[in-house]
Amino acid sequence: MSYLIKLDEVTIGYEKDGILGPVDLTIGRGRFWGIIGPNGGGKSTLLKTVLGLIPPVSGVVRTHNSLTFGYVPQKDKFDPIFPASVDELVTMGRYSRIPPGRRPSRADRERIQHALTMAGIIHLKQRTFRSLSEGEKQRALLARAIAGEPDILVLDEPTASVDVKGEARIMELVRKIKAEQGLTVLMVSHYLNTLTQHADMMMLIDKDRSLFQSGTKEEMLKSESVTGFFGMNTSKAPVE
Amino acid sequence: MESFELFLNSYFLWRDPMIVGVVAGAVCGFLGVYVVLRRIIFVSAALTQISSLGVALTFYLGAYATGALSELIHPFVLSIALTALAALFFALKRDFSRISREGVIGFGFLAASGSVVIIGDRITQGAHDIANILFGSAVVVDPKDVFIIPAAALGVFFIHTIFYKDFIFVSFDEDSARLFKYPVRLLNTVLLVSIAVMVAVCTRALGALPVFAFLALPPLTALFVTERLKLVFALSIMLGVLSAALGYFFSFILSTPTGATMTVCAALFFVIGLAWREIKIS
Repeated sequence: MSYLIKLDEVTIGYEKDGILGPVDLTIGRGRFWGIIGPNGGGKSTLLKTVLGLIPPVSGVVRTHNSLTFGYVPQKDKFDPIFPASVDELVTMGRYSRIPPGRRPSRADRERIQHALTMAGIIHLKQRTFRSLSEGEKQRALLARAIAGEPDILVLDEPTASVDVKGEARIMELVRKIKAEQGLTVLMVSHYLNTLTQHADMMMLIDKDRSLFQSGTKEEMLKSESVTGFFGMNTSKAPVE
Repeated sequence: MESFELFLNSYFLWRDPMIVGVVAGAVCGFLGVYVVLRRIIFVSAALTQISSLGVALTFYLGAYATGALSELIHPFVLSIALTALAALFFALKRDFSRISREGVIGFGFLAASGSVVIIGDRITQGAHDIANILFGSAVVVDPKDVFIIPAAALGVFFIHTIFYKDFIFVSFDEDSARLFKYPVRLLNTVLLVSIAVMVAVCTRALGALPVFAFLALPPLTALFVTERLKLVFALSIMLGVLSAALGYFFSFILSTPTGATMTVCAALFFVIGLAWREIKIS
């Protein structure tokens, strides 16, 4: 099988209400995909359809057998009433490899420690997730995503409401994880700059304009859709 | 001091209800942590009323039933059946034709509460029995309760020990649980049915008011006091036990209604917890 995820004639949406489609897409191993589009443009709906969290309105989503996801949801997804510690949060990321009714083994605990160390948050492991800063929360969620040794890392707006320094740290961590573990990355953002620096493939999505385009970063940056979407010419140039 | 001696000397009177109250306080305190963290306090309120409806229906139907049918119409049977059905409905049904989930829970609570009062008006035992169902008698309990409630509690603790990590996972992050191919619907159903079963057996013995109080107040108090999840469970169990035991003691000494006194004890712990929290953050 040459793909990890394949969408055939997929219409995305909730229940019977399609918001965009048909979408055809093939996600191969080792690529860094950036998903860009306006707020409310359907990015998260597409991501949840790809993950299998919501069924497509029509069409088929195929995934490679035994594909393991590492998922970084938007950080405000979690109810702050829950006093989960960072250690407990990251341990949950390992549950992709621990079936119901079983407890983490020593090997699982070592893998969780490794993920905490890699994300640079081992010193925060006893803190509650809700008490962390925005940047720390994102690093905790990244640690959680990699604790399960995923094949594909899925990030939903990981740099939203993070300052520039925090964003740089998070993206450096994503780059490091991808390089070390050879992961496929699928990242939603509405920051074009962030994605152009890291992604090699891009999707542009805007349900209000019935727009879905995908291709290499270079192809997409030349695309009139991107130019139209941002209201300016886009090009990639080295920063002095 | 005299009252305390009288209380100690009346051991034979309060032993059974104290055992039932303390076990109910412990298990409801434990299960209540899920109720509070999943923000389904009103599900537990609706379940306690539906359980009361089961008990009231038993009184009503008992007057007409004869032979083998009268054996089937037992407060436990009807109460557990109705409460478990309601829990299954709340666990499995997500779409309520554009009406919010809270709206349907409110419907369940109100329909059950109204029905209990109407049935109470029709049964021969009358208003006193219905008041006991709704607000708790707990002064004396059926001798069978001393075995049934601890047995049910042991069963629930056993299931929750095995699936602790899984119940926490689906309560905290249902999306990831589905992504990892966990049987989310089954786990949610088992969790809610375990709450329903305990609500049913405890409501029969203590009444709806203290059971609802044990499900809501000890976990809320524990959340004021600690930020460690496992400690929240431990503290909530402890507060449930203390509320039940102190509630029974004070109701004995002061001759106040037992279920209501247990509830007020749990509420006092809540106030203390709130004050602790305010002092800690100021």
